Amino acid sequence: MKIVIVSLLLCAALASAQTEVRHAIVLPSYKDLKYPPLPPLKVPEPVEATLSNGMKILLLEDHELPLVSGAALIRTGNLFDPPDKRGLAGLTGEVLRSGGTKTKTGDQLDQDLENVAASIESQIVETSGTLTFSCLKDNTDQVLGLFRDLLTTAEFRQDKVDLAKTQTRSAISRRNDDPDSIADREFSDIVYGRNTPYGWRVEYSDIDNIQRQDLINFYHRYYFPANITLEVYGDFSATELRAKLEQIFGSWKYTQPPVPSFPKVIEKVSPGVYLASKDDTTQTFFNVGELGGELRDKDYPALEVAAEILGGGFSSRLFRNVRTAHGWAYSISASWNANYDHPGTFVISGSTQSAHTVDTLKAVGEELEKIRAAEVTDEELQTAKDTVLNGFVFNFDRPSKTINRLLTYQYYGYPKDFIFQYQKAIAAVTKADVLRVAQKYFLPKNLTYVAVGNPKEFGAPLASLGIKVEPIDLTIPEPKPEAAQATAPTPATLAKGKELLQRVQQALGGADKLAAVKDLQYHAEVEAFTPGVSIKVKQTNSWIAPSTIRQDNELPVFKQSEYYDGKSGWLASVQGMRGLSPPLIKQIRGEAFRQLPGLMMSDRDADRTVNYAGDGLLDISSKDDESVRLIVDEKTGVPLKLAFQQGEGGTAVENVFSDWRDVDGIRLPFHWDVMQGDKKAAGVTVQNYKINSGLTPEVLGQKPATAPPGSPAVKP
Amino acid sequence: MRSPIFRPALLLLCPLLLAAQSLKDFEKRVTEFTLANGLHFIVFERHEAPVVSFHSYVNAGSVDDPSGETGIAHMFEHMAFKGTQTIGTKNYPLERKAMDEVEHIYDQYDAERNKGLKADPKKLADLQQQLKAAMEKADSYVIPNAYPELIEENGGVGMNAGTAEDATNYFYNFPRNRLELWFLLESQRFYDPVFREFYKERDVVREERRMRVESSPQGQLFEALLATAFEAHPYRNMPGGWASDIENFRLTEAIAFYKKYYVPANITIGIAGDVDPKECRRLADKYFSILPSGPLPSGPRTIEPPQKGEKRVEVESPAQPFMAIAYKRPNQNDKDDPVFDVLGEILAGERTGLLYTDLVRDKKIALAAAADPDSPGGKYPGLFLFFLVPNRGHTLEENEKACNDIIERVRTQKVTGDTLQRIKTKVRAGLIRRLDSNSGMADALTFYHVNYGDWRKLFTIIDDIDKVTPDDVVRVAKQYLVRETRTVVYTVQPPATANSTGKAEGAGQ
Repeated sequence: MKIVIVSLLLCAALASAQTEVRHAIVLPSYKDLKYPPLPPLKVPEPVEATLSNGMKILLLEDHELPLVSGAALIRTGNLFDPPDKRGLAGLTGEVLRSGGTKTKTGDQLDQDLENVAASIESQIVETSGTLTFSCLKDNTDQVLGLFRDLLTTAEFRQDKVDLAKTQTRSAISRRNDDPDSIADREFSDIVYGRNTPYGWRVEYSDIDNIQRQDLINFYHRYYFPANITLEVYGDFSATELRAKLEQIFGSWKYTQPPVPSFPKVIEKVSPGVYLASKDDTTQTFFNVGELGGELRDKDYPALEVAAEILGGGFSSRLFRNVRTAHGWAYSISASWNANYDHPGTFVISGSTQSAHTVDTLKAVGEELEKIRAAEVTDEELQTAKDTVLNGFVFNFDRPSKTINRLLTYQYYGYPKDFIFQYQKAIAAVTKADVLRVAQKYFLPKNLTYVAVGNPKEFGAPLASLGIKVEPIDLTIPEPKPEAAQATAPTPATLAKGKELLQRVQQALGGADKLAAVKDLQYHAEVEAFTPGVSIKVKQTNSWIAPSTIRQDNELPVFKQSEYYDGKSGWLASVQGMRGLSPPLIKQIRGEAFRQLPGLMMSDRDADRTVNYAGDGLLDISSKDDESVRLIVDEKTGVPLKLAFQQGEGGTAVENVFSDWRDVDGIRLPFHWDVMQGDKKAAGVTVQNYKINSGLTPEVLGQKPATAPPGSPAVKP
Repeated sequence: MRSPIFRPALLLLCPLLLAAQSLKDFEKRVTEFTLANGLHFIVFERHEAPVVSFHSYVNAGSVDDPSGETGIAHMFEHMAFKGTQTIGTKNYPLERKAMDEVEHIYDQYDAERNKGLKADPKKLADLQQQLKAAMEKADSYVIPNAYPELIEENGGVGMNAGTAEDATNYFYNFPRNRLELWFLLESQRFYDPVFREFYKERDVVREERRMRVESSPQGQLFEALLATAFEAHPYRNMPGGWASDIENFRLTEAIAFYKKYYVPANITIGIAGDVDPKECRRLADKYFSILPSGPLPSGPRTIEPPQKGEKRVEVESPAQPFMAIAYKRPNQNDKDDPVFDVLGEILAGERTGLLYTDLVRDKKIALAAAADPDSPGGKYPGLFLFFLVPNRGHTLEENEKACNDIIERVRTQKVTGDTLQRIKTKVRAGLIRRLDSNSGMADALTFYHVNYGDWRKLFTIIDDIDKVTPDDVVRVAKQYLVRETRTVVYTVQPPATANSTGKAEGAGQ
């Protein structure tokens, strides 16, 4: 008996040793700690003044380290973008710095500043513009001088305008790569309204519309002394610096009419469930919420507390439910994002395992109902308030925080002691307050749900939330091609067109020689750029005037040929032999139309129109609805580019010619780049041309041998 | 949001080159002491505001994960927020029994599963049910998130932790009157961690991987880069671990890791702010002496064999393409470490780095071009990394070629004295700028102590940088930026998504 008991006890002891790191010991308890009060807050007071030209300044001394930093705050913002030039403010902010000053290019400034480990940066965001600087104390004069030059006489050099536009286009092209940022963006755009300055976004066409002069005009309208406050903090004497700033800036006497107020947010509800499909993600990224309020709203403190309890951190209800209890998400939070001068958003956001998308969104809905249905607990209330109040001292742990706060309050018209009002208000929030604001502002029927993920892996369909699901189309609109803007022909333009075309004929060897071309064949190497990788294709192109054409393409793993004689044709590929569908016919017809010897002789074809569309621009079209725009060097008559639309989507394509050489008395291009907008889709390099080699439709029309039925298709 | 995270050392622990403020003045503000159990403290006084920053540096990271348990160091980091026998539980004795029961059932489950083809599916299903019930029972004793909540409601800000390859860091800031609370909480979490809600948290960690790696094109690229560049050394694994390893973590494995690596001698604590060093010493003795000493663990014994040729890898992704290029380099204690830092600045510093001026500014073929001289960690031989993001309408080929041309330039042409001078000035100013951050200082002091043997390296590294000559730069570039030790990883779009970027999915979803 005893032995059994002992061994049982032993087993129990062994078993209990598994999950335990230490045997139970008595450790001091945090509950027994006493905390002495913090010393009273020492809030430094910046010196405030106005220069003789109307520019305001705020100065704060801080002698801990030999550093000086500052920022000019300008009343402007991207809310002032014209609707067809969205992104103008952003570009202006950027090129203000990169474009340099009258005397120094941006590149020279980069060097000068980095030589002394200093920096000057510029940007314009939604409701403000900033120009900031930072330097070692010893370099203050030099850096302030450069700072002044940028603020007052930015040059916006063309090369930097072009660079900024290029980079913005690249950023647009990448805006759908990260599901997290898609969710944030789409939510904000929907809630504020896609057609409002708060909710619209920058597209390629906006960038195309923006020119250097637009930036200069924007800069001149908003960057003037009465519209700017400059803050400086660091290792200097305020009296000396104030005099210095008057000396540096005082003579900048430039005025503009006062800046209008920012547009108002259109208060509306846009309830609904919106889904953006993205199949390369294993989580669903979501934002759920609605329009919120401003920091000065009476209910703001209670709303802060409510949002904190709902989803503010480890202690919050959403965190405990979705993450800790269920393990469905790593990231989940709720916040009442108030702005200074316009409604912010109330948003619950996070990312959850795809299979638990609906579970998580339902849990979000449940937590909202709960916090609206009953008061929060005393403990929750106290924790939320303590988090703010006990950490309050961190709002003052650096002088820069004080001066930045003061500048911001001034800018938005908030009282100087706003942060202390906020502190008092938080301390006074009750459970009843939290319930009241949750019921008033967290409105389930007004919610906008945005989900970005892979619906195939959702587990349950999103529609089981009981709300109609609207798809979000993430396609990035391409800019409108120039070729689409045709000019209506008049007798004058037709005459000019004919005249220009004849000069082109001259340049290419003469009308007679061109007219004598009955067939043309060339062998070329085509390098096709699918994104990231290039593919080399051997191509043979054969044309019999006026509209018989055959193209043979040889790729590393398969061949493809197509033939069209003006009435019908075929396409031979790895999928076997097929007839030509109407879209394919249109495409091949276009290729035949664009063969240069025939195209150049369009003035002799009664079924074609040759119209002068501007300097060096020839619009050539046929009764069959073929059309191209030929861009010509007016001086030499040599064609530079051929612009046309391709495919069902009407993609704008430009062939950019180069390497013109003589072939049997006529000039033909030995290279062209195939451009789609900014993107180079392919490069074509001709090895040789054969003119009038006696091609016949019988020979060209011979179908190549295709794979026997049932054999596996080779994947291209 | 404030949650435990793991962070590839890419950004945080790159040893910035610093100098300037007189070391002698600075030394007066630093107090160091070591407890009998080996735990080392570095206290930096800064009385500008009544706040204090704390930083616990554990000299163990994902590089120490056992095989088949990649990500366990990170898993423990999550456990370090779950509380103790007194914080986070409604009834510890009952909770412990319930937790043991979970392990007991899980062991039976594993035993059945290990029978392979002979495993009885009914028994497995039954055991799974039992496991679920046992976990729910154990979780019923939990007061969720009690430990971090304590920190937050006492005014703790910036609370976080990070598991990198070389080390695991825990840090937050308190108002100065909570000094003793920090000593109590931090010592107790390392003395007496209770691994509650382990399997729930395992799911959370699995989600973290989904968020950071599987749903992120950059994450995917970086994971492929590490796994390709390193064939044997554990740097080949992302700090968060591989999915299947995560999904099979056992609580006992996390305990074993903690016991082996969280010995006091392997931990260095930095405290910076409005403190009295004597008071810190007293509190350290009072709270941390209890941690039992243990032998210093050894690091991984696997040495990456020399790379004998270029490696190129594609990662399919619908994102706009980008690429990473990595060269092999020695560890941070190599005599040429400062030269690598200078080389990093020459190539990718701010607006005057060569990659920026050439690819972004002049050729306009790149939206961004960056370099990192020591990735993913410095303790072991690592990588000199380049990161290229092409502009729209430009290709990876163009960018790679331009990057190679720049590299060839630094391998053959000496940089000017002016360029070096600019870098040295920047590094000096960087130190000054760092001194006004308590948390930055607590981080830096512990980092330099552990990795270079002395916190003073924060200053003396400036002297090392000053000694770098244009010849050194050429020599090091010539020796290490060579094709044979290069790994190139880039994304490629699958054929369907060539020009458009995702059409709307049908309704009914």
